Amino acid sequence: MSFALPTAFLLAAIALPIVGLYILKVRLRRVPVSTNLFWHQIFDEKPPRSIWQNLRHIVSLLMQLALLALLVLALADPYFAWQAKYARNIVLVIDNSASMQATDVSPTRFDAALERAQQLVTGMRDQDQVAVIVSGKSPEVIVGLTGHIPTLRRALESVKVTDAGTHLERAIELGKQLVAPYEKGEVIVLTDGCHQRVDPASLPEEPQKASEDKPEKEEVASNIVWEVFGTEANNVGITQFQTRRSLVDPIGYEILAAVHNASSEPIKARLEITLDDVPVDILPLKLEPGERWRRSLEKTSIEGGPLEARLTKITRNVEDSDEEDAPDDDLNYLTVDDVAYAILPQQKRQAVLLVTPGYFFLEKVFEANPMVDLTVLKEFPETWPTDSVIVLHRNTPVTLPSGDVWVIDPENDTDLWNVQGMLENPIVTKQADDSPLMTHISLDNVLLPKANKLDWKANIIPLAEAVSGDTIYAEIDRPDGKVLVLAVNLESSDLAFRTAFPMMATNALSWFAGPSGELHPSISTDEMTKVELSEEIANLYPKLTLVSPRDNMVDQPVIPGTKTQEGVSTSAASTSVGPLKTIGLWQLKPTVATDDESAESPTPDPIRSFAVNLASERETDLRTPTELLDATTTPSLTSSWWSRPPWFLLVCLACVLTAWEWFAYQRRVIT
Amino acid sequence: MGSGIEFSDHREYTNGDDLRYLDWNVYARYGDLLLKRFQEERDLHVYLLVDCSQSMAFGSPAKFDLARQLAAALAYIALADLDRISILAYGDRIMTELPVTRGKAQILSVMKYLEGIHTGGEDTNLSRGVQDFLLRGPRTGLVVVLSDLFDPHGFRSGLDQLRYRRFDAHVIQLHDPQEANPQMLGDVEFVDIETQSARKVTVTEKNLRTYKKLFDEHQAAVRTYCKTYGWGCTQSPSNVPFDDLLVHMMRSSIATARS
Repeated sequence: MSFALPTAFLLAAIALPIVGLYILKVRLRRVPVSTNLFWHQIFDEKPPRSIWQNLRHIVSLLMQLALLALLVLALADPYFAWQAKYARNIVLVIDNSASMQATDVSPTRFDAALERAQQLVTGMRDQDQVAVIVSGKSPEVIVGLTGHIPTLRRALESVKVTDAGTHLERAIELGKQLVAPYEKGEVIVLTDGCHQRVDPASLPEEPQKASEDKPEKEEVASNIVWEVFGTEANNVGITQFQTRRSLVDPIGYEILAAVHNASSEPIKARLEITLDDVPVDILPLKLEPGERWRRSLEKTSIEGGPLEARLTKITRNVEDSDEEDAPDDDLNYLTVDDVAYAILPQQKRQAVLLVTPGYFFLEKVFEANPMVDLTVLKEFPETWPTDSVIVLHRNTPVTLPSGDVWVIDPENDTDLWNVQGMLENPIVTKQADDSPLMTHISLDNVLLPKANKLDWKANIIPLAEAVSGDTIYAEIDRPDGKVLVLAVNLESSDLAFRTAFPMMATNALSWFAGPSGELHPSISTDEMTKVELSEEIANLYPKLTLVSPRDNMVDQPVIPGTKTQEGVSTSAASTSVGPLKTIGLWQLKPTVATDDESAESPTPDPIRSFAVNLASERETDLRTPTELLDATTTPSLTSSWWSRPPWFLLVCLACVLTAWEWFAYQRRVIT
Repeated sequence: MGSGIEFSDHREYTNGDDLRYLDWNVYARYGDLLLKRFQEERDLHVYLLVDCSQSMAFGSPAKFDLARQLAAALAYIALADLDRISILAYGDRIMTELPVTRGKAQILSVMKYLEGIHTGGEDTNLSRGVQDFLLRGPRTGLVVVLSDLFDPHGFRSGLDQLRYRRFDAHVIQLHDPQEANPQMLGDVEFVDIETQSARKVTVTEKNLRTYKKLFDEHQAAVRTYCKTYGWGCTQSPSNVPFDDLLVHMMRSSIATARS
């Protein structure tokens, strides 16, 4: 026998005062009586302090010492070698993905899995240890290996189902690592099987029985048991929903929607699309079993807002009158993918001052944009406007005006660069595809006969670089405002005739307009996205809050920007958002202080909104792969009252002794 | 009603009086029913034996206080009725004594005497107390014993001696409610307040039930003894007003006499 806490034996010293008090013989309470006449009669019939009466005190002492011994032993937590040898170490991997919300298993797949996990925890024997891991893009260890059942119960109660996709592999791998050091390690996966299809060849073998020869440690440690909660459930869901502003029509926008009929029945449904709760379109759908429907819609709206797509009226698409009466509640067991969101950015009018010696196509690029109020000048104005995007073509002042400036084909030296000559036939070999300025633009096959070779005086962020390493398109972040420089000679190139140029102009205007007009595509519940914060916002609001669709608030840490020793920022402040495990519209807001002063100030507008969708065809398809169903085993953990730990039994025995002592010694209180 | 021969005075006839003592001459002359009273009748000796052992100091209020109040009241009644009274305080023997006295005027000295006596002695011994009393050669009369009768030697031998000497007796037995119904449980050390002898016992519920049974048996034994020999017997807890107890005692005595 070994002891988990041998230092508890120090508590045995309490026996000394117990024996001491016994030896001291605590004086009895003296009760004066008018006569002992009757008491003599009582105790003379049965001799007082009979053998038992006399013995009772020594028995009582022995019982008290036994009680102390039991409690000290219980605290020392004894265990036997065989208990440690046959102890099981189990990792419960719980799938809390969106498909686990399916109601084909009552009440839901997730609830059934959680109930099963509770049963497994209840069935733990002494020395067994269980850990709980929740699968996700980053698997989370809810509780490490422990034998403390209440802790495990609380941990299981804290697990909530999400709207995210299934990522079991990492969780299983983590589970394997947790049980690797143990002989009887086991990973029990509680899932519905709606993850990447499992290759039967990679499935683990049946767990070894105890009676068989002990397998290799590594093989046992990688023992995985699948328990699947799911059926061949039908489901229809939106698997894609995005919107973007039209590349050619500034007030137009496009919607991309995809619906998947992951069922064995032909269905009819309606896809209702609303913009800011105003109906935009209602599309009737007729889908065959397994059919994927995909459609791009073109709409117009200056106003932006939240777009919502919702699947409604899902019924069987049958012509047979007998089948028409069949109930339709078995066609759609998952509701989380029946709705999807997107955010359409609002279009704002922009004032553009174009200073150019004259180039028809350049003017037309801005004129064609109905959201632009264009002013064209040949000479520099006396005062530069502060509310306009200034586009300087060729001619540039020595010091660039403050504000937003786009310089195209600069010919003069300025405070930000020196012109060092011409680049002949610069071929673009590198472009910053992740920059919003380069969205939908590819300069790979654009003919650029001429470009200015610039020697930059300021820190730049290259957007397009020639094969020589010279930057021909760059952004400059300066304290006085944003600057874009396109060193390409437009007249000699065909860039102005390409669709890339209007896109470049549109991107540039959006970039100058700031985040308000920026397009942010819908993200899936598994995705992460980085939000760059302007210096103004970073300085004003050091703390940010992420507000969920259910108005739950989470503090969002801000990563401060970096600056050089000269004070020039090399990277803006930012925050990483995601994965957002609930579908709907999320908002990133400045954290508002709750003092009285701030109560009077207006609530700041959201910095950014996010449309989060499930957008996972695998989650929409609830049908469990048959190969996984074949591999399913039902793990069983059994325990009995006597399989509880020795300390528990010792405490129970101590309780019995206490009751006996109380019964034997009776009440000692005189009323 | 004495049986002497010396005429003393008259008193009005009341129902139940012996018709042999009716003064027929007065009835014939005046039509009044008057009884003759004789000298011997006036000479009734009333002896109050008051237990002043330590056990009488027990309780709240103490039994001894109630005993003294009762003794004072009985003495007053006797003196008012032209009887002779004597008070003897006893414990393990006669400790103090108020000699035989008569007349209402003596009530103050009776009171003073009763104020002056206090509990003491080694234990209770009614038998020895009665022996001491009889050695004084008292005239036959009424003996009122005021005690708790918690006598380790037994109460019978003392009362028997009174009976042998043809004394009429009335026993007033007082007890404290705690004596009748003790509540202590567990390990206790009983200390007899008379003898200071201690007894270490463990009191259980069963012991308490046995105690109550023995106490009730003791009380019943006293009642039975008195009833057997036609004596009056009054048993009472010490927490009742003495006047209520006295009225109750008188009524029960009348009822006993009639029966």
